[in-house]
Amino acid sequence: MKRFEYYQPRTLDEAFERMGNLKGAGKYVAGGTDVIVRLKQRALKVDALVSLRGIAGLGDIAHNGALSLGGCALFRDIERNEVIARDFPALHQAVSMLANPQVRNVATIGGNLCNAAPSADCAPPLLVMDAVITLEGPRGKRDVPIESFFKGPGATLVEAPEILTGITIPAITPGTGSAFLKMGRVSQDIAKVNAAALVVMDGEVCLKCRLSAGAVAPVPLRLKACEKLVEGRRIDHDLLEEVALTASREVSPITDVRSTDDYRRHIAGVLAKRALGDALKFSTF
Amino acid sequence: MKKVLSFVLNGHEVSAEIESHKMLLQVLREEFQLTGTKEGCGQGECGACTVLVDGIPVDSCIYPSFEVDGKSVTTIEGLLGEGNVLHPIQAAFVAHGGVQCGFCTPGMIMSSKALLDETPMPTVQEVRNALAGNLCRCTGYVQIVDSVLSAAEKIQAEIKQ
Repeated sequence: MKRFEYYQPRTLDEAFERMGNLKGAGKYVAGGTDVIVRLKQRALKVDALVSLRGIAGLGDIAHNGALSLGGCALFRDIERNEVIARDFPALHQAVSMLANPQVRNVATIGGNLCNAAPSADCAPPLLVMDAVITLEGPRGKRDVPIESFFKGPGATLVEAPEILTGITIPAITPGTGSAFLKMGRVSQDIAKVNAAALVVMDGEVCLKCRLSAGAVAPVPLRLKACEKLVEGRRIDHDLLEEVALTASREVSPITDVRSTDDYRRHIAGVLAKRALGDALKFSTF
Repeated sequence: MKKVLSFVLNGHEVSAEIESHKMLLQVLREEFQLTGTKEGCGQGECGACTVLVDGIPVDSCIYPSFEVDGKSVTTIEGLLGEGNVLHPIQAAFVAHGGVQCGFCTPGMIMSSKALLDETPMPTVQEVRNALAGNLCRCTGYVQIVDSVLSAAEKIQAEIKQ
Protein backbone atom coordinates (compact mmCIF):
# COMPACT_ATOMS: atom_id res chain seq x y z
CA MET A 1 0.00 0.00 0.00
CA LYS A 2 1.11 3.52 -0.72
CA ARG A 3 2.75 5.25 2.24
CA PHE A 4 1.01 8.23 3.77
CA GLU A 5 1.29 10.37 6.88
CA TYR A 6 -1.62 10.22 9.31
CA TYR A 7 -2.35 13.29 11.43
CA GLN A 8 -4.79 13.32 14.34
CA PRO A 9 -5.69 16.90 15.29
CA ARG A 10 -7.72 17.46 18.48
CA THR A 11 -9.39 20.74 17.43
CA LEU A 12 -10.84 22.25 14.25
CA ASP A 13 -8.18 24.99 14.24
CA GLU A 14 -5.41 22.40 14.42
CA ALA A 15 -7.05 20.54 11.52
CA PHE A 16 -7.33 23.69 9.36
CA GLU A 17 -3.72 24.55 10.04
CA ARG A 18 -2.50 21.04 9.23
CA MET A 19 -4.52 20.90 6.01
CA GLY A 20 -3.26 24.37 5.04
CA ASN A 21 0.36 23.31 5.58
CA LEU A 22 -0.13 20.25 3.37
CA LYS A 23 -0.82 22.57 0.40
CA GLY A 24 -3.23 20.32 -1.47
CA ALA A 25 -1.37 17.07 -0.73
CA GLY A 26 -3.69 16.12 2.13
CA LYS A 27 -7.23 14.90 2.58
CA TYR A 28 -9.54 14.81 5.56
CA VAL A 29 -10.68 11.36 6.64
CA ALA A 30 -13.40 10.39 9.10
CA GLY A 31 -14.47 6.72 9.07
CA GLY A 32 -12.24 6.02 6.06
CA THR A 33 -14.62 3.61 4.37
CA ASP A 34 -14.45 5.68 1.17
CA VAL A 35 -11.13 7.53 1.51
CA ILE A 36 -8.98 4.56 2.64
CA VAL A 37 -10.52 2.28 0.02
CA ARG A 38 -9.81 4.83 -2.73
CA LEU A 39 -6.24 5.21 -1.47
CA LYS A 40 -5.80 1.43 -1.58
CA GLN A 41 -7.26 1.32 -5.10
CA ARG A 42 -4.90 4.19 -6.04
CA ALA A 43 -7.89 6.19 -7.18
CA LEU A 44 -6.89 8.84 -4.66
CA LYS A 45 -3.30 10.07 -4.50
CA VAL A 46 -2.38 12.10 -1.43
CA ASP A 47 0.66 12.22 0.86
CA ALA A 48 -1.24 12.66 4.10
CA LEU A 49 -4.58 12.03 5.76
CA VAL A 50 -5.92 14.35 8.45
CA SER A 51 -8.24 12.41 10.72
CA LEU A 52 -11.33 14.12 12.12
CA ARG A 53 -12.10 11.30 14.57
CA GLY A 54 -10.37 12.92 17.53
CA ILE A 55 -12.12 16.31 17.35
CA ALA A 56 -14.48 16.58 20.31
CA GLY A 57 -18.17 17.15 19.61
CA LEU A 58 -18.12 16.37 15.88
CA GLY A 59 -19.87 13.05 16.47
CA ASP A 60 -22.73 14.43 18.57
CA ILE A 61 -26.43 13.97 17.84
CA ALA A 62 -28.81 16.44 19.50
CA HIS A 63 -32.56 16.94 19.25
CA ASN A 64 -34.57 19.93 20.42
CA GLY A 65 -37.33 19.75 17.83
CA ALA A 66 -34.77 20.35 15.11
CA LEU A 67 -32.23 17.57 14.72
CA SER A 68 -28.52 18.42 14.83
CA LEU A 69 -26.04 15.88 13.57
CA GLY A 70 -22.31 16.44 13.91
CA GLY A 71 -20.40 15.96 10.67
CA CYS A 72 -18.73 12.89 12.17
CA ALA A 73 -21.95 11.39 13.59
CA LEU A 74 -21.61 7.65 13.05
CA PHE A 75 -24.20 5.75 11.04
CA ARG A 76 -24.15 3.30 13.94
CA ASP A 77 -25.39 6.00 16.32
CA ILE A 78 -27.92 7.48 13.87
CA GLU A 79 -29.33 3.98 13.24
CA ARG A 80 -29.79 3.37 16.99
CA ASN A 81 -31.28 6.81 17.80
CA GLU A 82 -34.94 6.42 18.76
CA VAL A 83 -35.97 10.02 18.01
CA ILE A 84 -34.60 9.71 14.48
CA ALA A 85 -36.41 6.39 13.96
CA ARG A 86 -39.68 7.97 15.13
CA ASP A 87 -39.59 11.48 13.63
CA PHE A 88 -37.21 11.13 10.68
CA PRO A 89 -37.95 7.60 9.39
CA ALA A 90 -36.54 8.20 5.89
CA LEU A 91 -33.13 8.98 7.40
CA HIS A 92 -33.34 6.01 9.76
CA GLN A 93 -34.21 3.67 6.90
CA ALA A 94 -31.45 4.99 4.63
CA VAL A 95 -28.84 4.63 7.34
CA SER A 96 -30.00 1.12 8.32
CA MET A 97 -29.68 -0.04 4.69
CA LEU A 98 -26.34 1.59 3.99
CA ALA A 99 -23.49 -0.84 3.23
CA ASN A 100 -23.01 -3.29 6.12
CA PRO A 101 -22.64 -3.22 9.92
CA GLN A 102 -18.83 -2.98 9.94
CA VAL A 103 -18.97 0.02 7.61
CA ARG A 104 -21.80 1.69 9.56
CA ASN A 105 -19.80 1.25 12.77
CA VAL A 106 -17.11 3.66 11.56
CA ALA A 107 -18.56 5.60 8.60
CA THR A 108 -19.97 9.10 9.17
CA ILE A 109 -22.82 11.08 7.67
CA GLY A 110 -20.50 13.99 6.79
CA GLY A 111 -18.16 11.59 5.05
CA ASN A 112 -21.01 10.16 3.01
CA LEU A 113 -22.00 13.66 1.87
CA CYS A 114 -18.44 14.88 1.16
CA ASN A 115 -17.71 11.75 -0.88
CA ALA A 116 -20.57 13.06 -3.03
CA ALA A 117 -21.44 9.85 -4.82
CA PRO A 118 -24.63 10.40 -6.87
CA SER A 119 -25.86 7.23 -5.11
CA ALA A 120 -25.11 8.42 -1.53
CA ASP A 121 -27.92 6.93 0.55
CA CYS A 122 -28.04 9.85 3.01
CA ALA A 123 -28.66 12.43 0.32
CA PRO A 124 -32.29 11.73 -0.68
CA PRO A 125 -33.61 11.78 2.93
CA LEU A 126 -31.69 14.97 3.74
CA LEU A 127 -32.96 16.57 0.50
CA VAL A 128 -36.61 15.85 1.31
CA MET A 129 -36.08 17.10 4.88
CA ASP A 130 -34.61 20.44 3.68
CA ALA A 131 -31.44 19.86 5.69
CA VAL A 132 -28.88 22.62 6.13
CA ILE A 133 -25.17 21.85 6.02
CA THR A 134 -22.68 23.76 8.15
CA LEU A 135 -19.18 24.20 6.79
CA GLU A 136 -16.41 25.62 8.95
CA GLY A 137 -13.08 26.99 7.87
CA PRO A 138 -10.33 29.19 9.30
CA ARG A 139 -12.31 32.30 8.32
CA GLY A 140 -15.58 31.20 9.92
CA LYS A 141 -18.79 29.27 9.38
CA ARG A 142 -21.33 29.16 6.59
CA ASP A 143 -24.63 27.37 6.23
CA VAL A 144 -25.69 25.96 2.87
CA PRO A 145 -28.94 24.22 1.94
CA ILE A 146 -28.28 20.63 0.95
CA GLU A 147 -29.92 21.29 -2.41
CA SER A 148 -26.96 23.42 -3.49
CA PHE A 149 -24.27 21.31 -1.75
CA PHE A 150 -23.56 18.78 -4.51
CA LYS A 151 -21.79 20.00 -7.66
CA GLY A 152 -21.25 16.74 -9.55
CA PRO A 153 -19.95 13.21 -8.96
CA GLY A 154 -17.39 13.58 -6.15
CA ALA A 155 -17.69 17.37 -6.16
CA THR A 156 -19.26 19.61 -3.50
CA LEU A 157 -19.31 23.22 -2.31
CA VAL A 158 -16.66 22.45 0.33
CA GLU A 159 -13.52 24.53 -0.23
CA ALA A 160 -10.30 23.29 1.40
CA PRO A 161 -9.51 23.54 4.25
CA GLU A 162 -13.20 23.68 5.20
CA ILE A 163 -14.77 20.86 7.20
CA LEU A 164 -18.39 19.76 7.17
CA THR A 165 -19.10 20.14 10.88
CA GLY A 166 -22.85 19.75 11.10
CA ILE A 167 -26.18 18.96 9.51
CA THR A 168 -29.40 20.51 10.80
CA ILE A 169 -32.82 19.12 9.97
CA PRO A 170 -35.79 21.39 10.77
CA ALA A 171 -38.35 20.13 13.29
CA ILE A 172 -41.23 18.16 11.79
CA THR A 173 -44.73 19.60 11.83
CA PRO A 174 -47.85 17.53 12.66
CA GLY A 175 -48.93 15.35 9.74
CA THR A 176 -45.38 14.72 8.52
CA GLY A 177 -44.35 11.34 7.17
CA SER A 178 -41.23 10.26 5.32
CA ALA A 179 -39.76 7.13 3.76
CA PHE A 180 -36.67 5.90 1.92
CA LEU A 181 -36.31 3.07 -0.60
CA LYS A 182 -33.34 1.60 -2.36
CA MET A 183 -32.82 -0.84 -5.18
CA GLY A 184 -29.52 -2.70 -5.35
CA ARG A 185 -28.32 -6.06 -6.61
CA VAL A 186 -27.67 -7.43 -3.12
CA SER A 187 -28.35 -5.76 0.21
CA GLN A 188 -24.94 -4.18 0.84
CA ASP A 189 -24.45 -2.92 -2.72
CA ILE A 190 -24.28 0.69 -3.77
CA ALA A 191 -27.79 1.69 -4.89
CA LYS A 192 -28.76 1.33 -8.56
CA VAL A 193 -31.45 3.83 -7.66
CA ASN A 194 -32.58 5.23 -4.31
CA ALA A 195 -35.43 7.57 -3.45
CA ALA A 196 -36.97 9.39 -0.51
CA ALA A 197 -40.31 11.07 0.02
CA LEU A 198 -41.71 13.41 2.65
CA VAL A 199 -45.31 14.57 2.94
CA VAL A 200 -47.09 16.92 5.29
CA MET A 201 -50.75 15.95 5.32
CA ASP A 202 -53.82 17.90 6.41
CA GLY A 203 -56.39 15.16 6.57
CA GLU A 204 -56.45 13.65 3.09
CA VAL A 205 -54.84 16.63 1.38
CA CYS A 206 -51.10 16.86 0.91
CA LEU A 207 -49.92 20.32 2.03
CA LYS A 208 -46.24 19.78 1.28
CA CYS A 209 -44.45 17.16 -0.77
CA ARG A 210 -40.76 16.52 -1.20
CA LEU A 211 -39.40 13.77 -3.45
CA SER A 212 -35.83 12.98 -4.32
CA ALA A 213 -33.86 10.29 -6.08
CA GLY A 214 -30.21 9.28 -6.21
CA ALA A 215 -27.95 7.50 -8.72
CA VAL A 216 -30.11 8.86 -11.56
CA ALA A 217 -28.19 12.06 -12.36
CA PRO A 218 -24.72 13.58 -11.70
CA VAL A 219 -25.98 14.71 -8.27
CA PRO A 220 -28.81 13.50 -5.97
CA LEU A 221 -31.95 15.16 -7.35
CA ARG A 222 -35.07 16.84 -6.03
CA LEU A 223 -38.01 15.70 -8.21
CA LYS A 224 -39.70 19.07 -8.34
CA ALA A 225 -42.22 18.34 -11.09
CA CYS A 226 -43.49 15.42 -9.01
CA GLU A 227 -43.68 17.55 -5.88
CA LYS A 228 -45.78 20.17 -7.72
CA LEU A 229 -48.11 17.46 -8.96
CA VAL A 230 -48.80 16.18 -5.44
CA GLU A 231 -49.10 19.36 -3.38
CA GLY A 232 -52.67 20.42 -2.68
CA ARG A 233 -54.13 17.08 -3.77
CA ARG A 234 -55.36 13.79 -2.32
CA ILE A 235 -52.79 11.05 -2.82
CA ASP A 236 -54.66 8.23 -4.56
CA HIS A 237 -53.76 5.42 -6.94
CA ASP A 238 -54.05 7.55 -10.09
CA LEU A 239 -51.86 10.31 -8.66
CA LEU A 240 -49.20 7.78 -7.64
CA GLU A 241 -49.12 6.43 -11.21
CA GLU A 242 -48.77 9.99 -12.50
CA VAL A 243 -45.88 10.54 -10.07
CA ALA A 244 -44.12 7.40 -11.34
CA LEU A 245 -44.39 8.58 -14.93
CA THR A 246 -43.26 12.12 -14.10
CA ALA A 247 -40.31 10.90 -12.01
CA SER A 248 -39.12 8.69 -14.87
CA ARG A 249 -39.09 11.76 -17.13
CA GLU A 250 -37.39 13.98 -14.56
CA VAL A 251 -34.27 11.85 -14.08
CA SER A 252 -31.26 11.55 -16.41
CA PRO A 253 -29.52 8.28 -15.50
CA ILE A 254 -26.49 6.66 -17.11
CA THR A 255 -25.59 3.09 -17.99
CA ASP A 256 -22.72 1.70 -15.94
CA VAL A 257 -21.53 -1.57 -14.37
CA ARG A 258 -24.47 -1.62 -11.97
CA SER A 259 -27.41 -0.94 -14.26
CA THR A 260 -28.68 0.55 -17.50
CA ASP A 261 -30.17 3.99 -18.03
CA ASP A 262 -33.53 2.52 -19.14
CA TYR A 263 -33.81 0.33 -16.06
CA ARG A 264 -32.82 3.15 -13.72
CA ARG A 265 -35.37 5.47 -15.37
CA HIS A 266 -38.13 2.93 -14.88
CA ILE A 267 -37.13 2.07 -11.31
CA ALA A 268 -36.82 5.74 -10.34
CA GLY A 269 -40.51 6.06 -11.16
CA VAL A 270 -41.43 2.94 -9.23
CA LEU A 271 -39.40 3.93 -6.15
CA ALA A 272 -40.73 7.52 -6.19
CA LYS A 273 -44.29 6.19 -6.27
CA ARG A 274 -43.70 3.63 -3.53
CA ALA A 275 -41.70 6.00 -1.30
CA LEU A 276 -44.55 8.50 -1.53
CA GLY A 277 -47.04 5.80 -0.57
CA ASP A 278 -44.83 4.73 2.34
CA ALA A 279 -44.36 8.33 3.53
CA LEU A 280 -48.13 8.67 3.61
CA LYS A 281 -48.36 5.61 5.88
CA PHE A 282 -45.78 7.10 8.27
CA SER A 283 -47.59 10.44 8.48
CA THR A 284 -49.49 10.97 11.71
CA PHE A 285 -52.34 13.45 11.82
CA MET B 1 5.94 8.75 10.03
CA LYS B 2 5.96 6.37 13.01
CA LYS B 3 4.23 6.35 16.35
CA VAL B 4 4.27 4.11 19.41
CA LEU B 5 0.76 2.75 19.79
CA SER B 6 -0.41 1.38 23.13
CA PHE B 7 -3.60 -0.61 23.27
CA VAL B 8 -5.21 -3.65 24.84
CA LEU B 9 -4.98 -6.68 22.58
CA ASN B 10 -7.03 -9.70 23.62
CA GLY B 11 -6.92 -8.58 27.23
CA HIS B 12 -3.21 -7.78 27.37
CA GLU B 13 -1.65 -4.32 27.28
CA VAL B 14 0.68 -4.09 24.30
CA SER B 15 2.63 -1.39 22.54
CA ALA B 16 4.53 -1.24 19.28
CA GLU B 17 6.05 1.33 16.98
CA ILE B 18 3.92 1.40 13.83
CA GLU B 19 4.13 3.27 10.52
CA SER B 20 1.28 5.66 9.72
CA HIS B 21 0.13 3.96 6.52
CA LYS B 22 -0.42 0.54 8.14
CA MET B 23 -3.93 -0.71 8.66
CA LEU B 24 -4.93 -2.54 11.85
CA LEU B 25 -5.04 -5.85 9.94
CA GLN B 26 -1.34 -5.60 9.01
CA VAL B 27 -0.41 -4.70 12.58
CA LEU B 28 -2.26 -7.73 13.95
CA ARG B 29 -0.86 -10.19 11.41
CA GLU B 30 2.68 -8.86 10.92
CA GLU B 31 3.57 -7.16 14.21
CA PHE B 32 1.74 -9.49 16.59
CA GLN B 33 1.65 -12.67 14.44
CA LEU B 34 -2.10 -13.03 15.06
CA THR B 35 -2.87 -14.62 11.71
CA GLY B 36 -6.36 -15.79 12.64
CA THR B 37 -7.71 -12.54 11.21
CA LYS B 38 -7.84 -12.92 7.40
CA GLU B 39 -7.52 -10.48 4.54
CA GLY B 40 -10.20 -11.13 1.92
CA CYS B 41 -11.04 -8.23 -0.35
CA GLY B 42 -8.95 -5.63 1.48
CA GLN B 43 -11.66 -3.04 0.76
CA GLY B 44 -14.23 -3.36 3.53
CA GLU B 45 -16.69 -5.48 1.56
CA CYS B 46 -16.21 -9.10 2.66
CA GLY B 47 -15.73 -8.92 6.43
CA ALA B 48 -13.04 -11.66 6.63
CA CYS B 49 -10.85 -9.20 8.59
CA THR B 50 -13.52 -8.33 11.17
CA VAL B 51 -12.20 -7.67 14.68
CA LEU B 52 -13.77 -5.88 17.65
CA VAL B 53 -12.53 -2.43 18.62
CA ASP B 54 -13.94 -1.49 22.02
CA GLY B 55 -16.45 -4.31 21.47
CA ILE B 56 -17.68 -3.04 18.08
CA PRO B 57 -17.02 -5.00 14.85
CA VAL B 58 -14.93 -3.18 12.26
CA ASP B 59 -13.15 -4.17 9.05
CA SER B 60 -9.52 -4.13 10.20
CA CYS B 61 -8.26 -3.95 6.57
CA ILE B 62 -9.45 -0.33 6.29
CA TYR B 63 -9.04 0.67 9.95
CA PRO B 64 -6.04 3.03 10.27
CA SER B 65 -3.71 1.61 12.91
CA PHE B 66 -3.12 5.02 14.55
CA GLU B 67 -6.81 5.09 15.56
CA VAL B 68 -6.39 2.03 17.76
CA ASP B 69 -4.14 3.87 20.26
CA GLY B 70 -5.71 3.67 23.73
CA LYS B 71 -8.47 1.32 22.62
CA SER B 72 -9.18 -2.36 23.17
CA VAL B 73 -8.96 -4.87 20.30
CA THR B 74 -10.33 -8.41 20.31
CA THR B 75 -9.43 -10.89 17.57
CA ILE B 76 -10.53 -14.47 17.03
CA GLU B 77 -7.50 -15.59 19.13
CA GLY B 78 -8.97 -13.65 22.06
CA LEU B 79 -12.09 -15.81 22.19
CA LEU B 80 -10.31 -19.01 23.12
CA GLY B 81 -10.91 -19.93 26.77
CA GLU B 82 -8.47 -21.32 29.33
CA GLY B 83 -6.94 -24.66 28.39
CA ASN B 84 -7.66 -23.98 24.69
CA VAL B 85 -11.39 -24.50 25.18
CA LEU B 86 -13.37 -23.14 22.23
CA HIS B 87 -15.73 -20.22 22.84
CA PRO B 88 -19.38 -21.38 22.61
CA ILE B 89 -19.74 -19.55 19.28
CA GLN B 90 -16.68 -21.34 17.87
CA ALA B 91 -17.96 -24.69 19.18
CA ALA B 92 -21.39 -24.06 17.62
CA PHE B 93 -19.79 -23.31 14.20
CA VAL B 94 -17.98 -26.67 14.40
CA ALA B 95 -21.06 -28.58 15.55
CA HIS B 96 -23.46 -27.12 12.95
CA GLY B 97 -21.23 -27.12 9.87
CA GLY B 98 -20.85 -23.33 9.93
CA VAL B 99 -17.23 -23.86 8.78
CA GLN B 100 -16.41 -25.16 5.32
CA CYS B 101 -13.26 -23.68 3.78
CA GLY B 102 -12.91 -21.58 6.95
CA PHE B 103 -11.60 -18.36 5.45
CA CYS B 104 -14.65 -16.27 6.41
CA THR B 105 -15.04 -17.98 9.79
CA PRO B 106 -12.95 -15.71 12.07
CA GLY B 107 -14.81 -12.65 10.76
CA MET B 108 -18.19 -14.40 10.98
CA ILE B 109 -17.49 -15.36 14.58
CA MET B 110 -16.36 -11.87 15.60
CA SER B 111 -19.52 -10.33 14.08
CA SER B 112 -21.56 -12.99 15.88
CA LYS B 113 -19.80 -12.22 19.17
CA ALA B 114 -20.67 -8.52 18.89
CA LEU B 115 -24.28 -9.41 18.06
CA LEU B 116 -24.71 -11.76 21.02
CA ASP B 117 -23.08 -9.24 23.40
CA GLU B 118 -25.70 -6.65 22.38
CA THR B 119 -28.65 -8.98 21.63
CA PRO B 120 -28.28 -12.24 23.61
CA MET B 121 -31.28 -13.99 21.97
CA PRO B 122 -31.47 -12.67 18.39
CA THR B 123 -34.09 -13.56 15.79
CA VAL B 124 -33.07 -15.15 12.47
CA GLN B 125 -33.44 -11.73 10.83
CA GLU B 126 -31.26 -10.07 13.46
CA VAL B 127 -28.55 -12.69 12.85
CA ARG B 128 -28.76 -12.15 9.10
CA ASN B 129 -28.57 -8.36 9.52
CA ALA B 130 -25.58 -8.63 11.87
CA LEU B 131 -23.74 -10.87 9.38
CA ALA B 132 -24.64 -8.82 6.28
CA GLY B 133 -21.04 -7.58 6.09
CA ASN B 134 -19.52 -11.07 6.17
CA LEU B 135 -19.45 -12.93 2.88
CA CYS B 136 -19.18 -16.73 2.64
CA ARG B 137 -18.63 -18.58 -0.64
CA CYS B 138 -19.22 -22.09 0.75
CA THR B 139 -22.05 -22.57 3.19
CA GLY B 140 -24.96 -20.68 1.69
CA TYR B 141 -25.24 -19.09 5.16
CA VAL B 142 -27.94 -21.47 6.48
CA GLN B 143 -25.54 -23.42 8.71
CA ILE B 144 -23.90 -20.19 9.85
CA VAL B 145 -27.21 -18.73 11.00
CA ASP B 146 -28.02 -22.05 12.73
CA SER B 147 -24.63 -21.94 14.46
CA VAL B 148 -25.20 -18.45 15.86
CA LEU B 149 -28.74 -19.25 17.06
CA SER B 150 -27.49 -22.42 18.73
CA ALA B 151 -24.58 -20.54 20.35
CA ALA B 152 -27.03 -17.97 21.71
CA GLU B 153 -29.06 -20.72 23.40
CA LYS B 154 -25.92 -22.39 24.81
CA ILE B 155 -24.60 -19.13 26.24
CA GLN B 156 -27.94 -18.30 27.85
CA ALA B 157 -28.24 -21.83 29.29
CA GLU B 158 -24.73 -21.53 30.78
CA ILE B 159 -25.59 -18.16 32.34
CA LYS B 160 -28.70 -19.64 33.96
CA GLN B 161 -26.80 -22.56 35.53
